[in-house]
Amino acid sequence: MNNNHTNDSDMSKIDNPTNSMDDLQYRRSIYADPTSQAEDIIAAQNADPAKKRLAHELYLFDEQLKEAMSIPVPDDLCNKLLLRQTLASHQQEKRKSRVHLALAASVAIVAGLVVNYLQFSNSYTNLGDYALAHVYHEEDKFFNSDNNRVNLATLNKKMASFNGSFNQSLGQLISADYCRFDGMKSLHLVYQGLTDTVAVFIVPKKEHLAFTDKFSDNKLQGESLGFKDANVLVVADKNESLEVWQRAISDNITWSI
Amino acid sequence: MKIFGNKKTSTQVLDTDPSKNSSSMATKQVRYEALVKALHGDLYRFAYWLTHDKQVSEDLVQETFLRAWRALDSLKDEKAAKSWLITILRRENARRFERKRFDMSEYEEASIMDTQSTTTEQVIENQWLRGKIAQLPPEYSEPLVLQVLGGYSGEDIASMLNLNKNTVMTRLFRARNQLKDALEKEPGKMRLLHE
Repeated sequence: MNNNHTNDSDMSKIDNPTNSMDDLQYRRSIYADPTSQAEDIIAAQNADPAKKRLAHELYLFDEQLKEAMSIPVPDDLCNKLLLRQTLASHQQEKRKSRVHLALAASVAIVAGLVVNYLQFSNSYTNLGDYALAHVYHEEDKFFNSDNNRVNLATLNKKMASFNGSFNQSLGQLISADYCRFDGMKSLHLVYQGLTDTVAVFIVPKKEHLAFTDKFSDNKLQGESLGFKDANVLVVADKNESLEVWQRAISDNITWSI
Repeated sequence: MKIFGNKKTSTQVLDTDPSKNSSSMATKQVRYEALVKALHGDLYRFAYWLTHDKQVSEDLVQETFLRAWRALDSLKDEKAAKSWLITILRRENARRFERKRFDMSEYEEASIMDTQSTTTEQVIENQWLRGKIAQLPPEYSEPLVLQVLGGYSGEDIASMLNLNKNTVMTRLFRARNQLKDALEKEPGKMRLLHE
């Protein structure tokens, strides 16, 4: 490529009668590398001052070329390059952490759904069944002989979230704690009974559990009492008179508006 | 699932020695910044003489350094950094040609000249010379820029351009010869040779 026209100029040098073959060789070498320190180049320069002059001339020319080639570099290029790299690796990091975040979020969502399903699923269709199951579940937690007592003030503090209060204690209260009553926040009271503990549940009124007036199985019996905002359930063994408990509750409990 | 698997192995690698990894990351950053500071000017000028366009040169240098960052671990010898970067830049430039066929007649001599208002004699002569260098066929100007600006020997240039040394020396001779011929046609510029 481009050999044709350059060969022409090479040929003109050869045709020049004042140039010997050696001169051409020197020319070619020194034009290709003006700063050459090759032995034959140095020797040729020492033998012929004209060759030395040509080398110097080309050296100066190279200086000019270098200056011409050294076009100004944009001031901000260096900063741009550093910034771009920082952004690029930041993007990479962000992509990575985004993937991690997405994974973590998915796991959290799944975990949340599972917990929700386990804890808040409505696996019972009526209050009675659930109340019985609940009592059986906590059978081993409370004993009729327990000496723990909860005073009326503490009980009423807890009752406050149901807008209710007891005027006086129904009996020996062993425990009063909030619990999940089929997904609803409820109050679970455990009283000392004749032969075994008596459970009283204060449950907010919700539609998904059908109200059951009386319920029982071979061991336990229960009764529900519907109030304006809440149902009160009593669950006890068959030795208790639920009627007495229900009357005591109705007489004692006061609902605020 | 396969993607997750890969992720897991990569995090396991990270977990085994996080301190080592973060420190090598910091070292990489330091190396990169040193390279940018020391060599961005040379790279830009080299890009300019390849492309004759300032904006394209900037883009080319940016692309080059971005690729250099990704491949920095493969650079073992800092002394070879400049020729390594030039190799990347030439490859990027070739890619650019593949994307868009560059028409040589698109640029004019005027566009490659600096439009500086301080027109000292030296500046005018530099501009004239720049125009002439830009008119050289690229296969001549490229080794010349590498030799004059880059300070590379004939052997270095030969290996960088994948040519044999004799070819490089011939092209260097022709490059200077053409420039001198141009100079001799304009007697007013002869002081470039003799001052």
